[in-house]
Amino acid sequence: MLPCLRHASLGAGVLALALAAAAPAHADLIYVLNSTDPSIVKIDTRTGEEVQRIDSLREVHHLVLSPDRKELLIADSSGNEILFVEPATGTVLRRERISNPYHLDFTPDGRLLVVASLRRGQVDIYDANGPRLLDRFRAGNKPSHIAFSPDSRFAYITIQGDGTVMAIDLQERRILWQANVGPEPAGILWHRGRLIIGIMGRDYFAVMNPETRQVESTIRVGRGAHTVFASPDGKTLWATSRVQSRIAEIEPDTLQVRRIHEVPGGPDCIAFAPDGAVWATLRWAGRIARLDPASGEVSTIRVGRSPHGIFVQPRAIQ
Amino acid sequence: MFKLFDDWHTQLTGWIFEAFLQPVLYATDLMNIADEMLEWVDFTLFSIFGIIVTYIVCRPLEAWRPVEPVTDRRAIRTDIIYTLLARLGIFPLLAFILLAAIQSRLEGMLADTGFVSPTLESIFPFLHQVPLLTFFIYVVILDFGEYWRHRLQHSIGWWWALHSIHHAQRQMTFWTDDRNHILDEVIAALWFGTIALLIGVSPAQFPLLLLLMRLVEAFSHGNIRLSFGRIGERLLVSPRFHRVHHGVLSVAEHGRNYAVLFPVWDWMFLTADFSRQDYPRTGDPEAPESLATGGWLVQQWVGFKRMMGAGKPSL
Repeated sequence: MLPCLRHASLGAGVLALALAAAAPAHADLIYVLNSTDPSIVKIDTRTGEEVQRIDSLREVHHLVLSPDRKELLIADSSGNEILFVEPATGTVLRRERISNPYHLDFTPDGRLLVVASLRRGQVDIYDANGPRLLDRFRAGNKPSHIAFSPDSRFAYITIQGDGTVMAIDLQERRILWQANVGPEPAGILWHRGRLIIGIMGRDYFAVMNPETRQVESTIRVGRGAHTVFASPDGKTLWATSRVQSRIAEIEPDTLQVRRIHEVPGGPDCIAFAPDGAVWATLRWAGRIARLDPASGEVSTIRVGRSPHGIFVQPRAIQ
Repeated sequence: MFKLFDDWHTQLTGWIFEAFLQPVLYATDLMNIADEMLEWVDFTLFSIFGIIVTYIVCRPLEAWRPVEPVTDRRAIRTDIIYTLLARLGIFPLLAFILLAAIQSRLEGMLADTGFVSPTLESIFPFLHQVPLLTFFIYVVILDFGEYWRHRLQHSIGWWWALHSIHHAQRQMTFWTDDRNHILDEVIAALWFGTIALLIGVSPAQFPLLLLLMRLVEAFSHGNIRLSFGRIGERLLVSPRFHRVHHGVLSVAEHGRNYAVLFPVWDWMFLTADFSRQDYPRTGDPEAPESLATGGWLVQQWVGFKRMMGAGKPSL
């Protein structure tokens, strides 16, 4: 009757047992942003237990590690602030007033912080050391996710409500172009000279050439294609589909789907643990999933309502 | 226990969304409002829970100590329709989509001026550490806002024309709380939402806050012979306190006991009536009969016509 409920409670039990039995030599910390709770929870992967909860926020969606890896920036869109958290301890170091931050990322050279404001239709460019607002661009209906060219010259933003991708020249501070890509584009990734874009209104990721602005091919993963992440070793691209509830392994050279994992609950953002596990937030199930790429086993942990952003902080060996 | 309920609520919300709503959104290229729709399902389930809690609390008390016998069940049925429409139906759905869009636009305009709206916690950072105190402060501020909205409903001609639908009920029960004209509901939502936005009510606390306020409001409308005593009457709105407000002598600008939760506002602004033994007859003697006994549609239409024909403000 309630398949996701049954799966989740079983999964949670299995995970707790597995974690207790395995008792790895080191335990990582996982930060999860519960967007409608709203709260940030910190999970100890050794026990699967919540070890810290930061409350009194409004609507946390995305997070990013600072270039020096000393601060975790957590964007609270309705709260109009970014929290700066020490990733090793979970201590809130400071809170900065920022206009409606939804998705955010640093340029690869670490000099700029780009913030997309989904509900206010703007993209803001900040000096990464402030953050101090340098420029604001009107960006249409629902600017969503951000990617950069490796030389930090260009930012690419999906505009969810318009079905387009926008390119901003960060050096000249101007909008270069805007190109149609498909209904409700969401996640975006720069990959070997191409942009891979999740088309949420369809069942595929679009592969766009930013030079020609043409979609050259598509990668079918399942309905509601959402976000895509490169594994730290570069050997796999991991893509989620929220409607069909799938996580897909994609071969980075050929962009062929290598394997599909059925993960009920609307998988969204992904983070990678040093032990190779893939952690994903399940937006509709209030849980995070741990996917073992070797065995394909999936287990879950209860975290809060509508979990979105996720980050794994490796811990030193104990 | 709360965690268990919260988890159950989350899972049920997710299941309804995934099984029924998301496929429709996907098929109609509306995936970009998925978040709003999830919140609507969340809200609707919470509202159903709120109605059940209200019924469990109020119905036995109405049966045990009624102020008056039930003689007009049809009028009560109309009030039940009001409740279902207000809490579960199309109005909250529209509010989630339209108000969210309006809010975004307003915030966008504000953002362009460089202004970033503050929250209570950003003004008083220590409140981050004491969410219970923050919650109480939110309740007090919102209740203060509700007191003044209610006073204006009684003193502005066109607004009273709408609000008199609420007062026309002669067979008051806890269902009467939601007996309001749609336009009155929209204004109330904007009023409440604006204040909540200005002080930055946390989304986590919003459902609890609504549940609490609606429970007290429904309870205060109950057909219950109950006073909270000399001190209690001054701390929290009781069925007796609010029945005086619905009395036939308390219509329009002659209103008394406007408070929704805390009578202190009436006390402070000299509109309180603490005569404890008084359980007056309710209704609006000046309202047309259709406002008291007509169906939902008739009342909405008559209320609208009266609003259009209302005279100038009589402050």
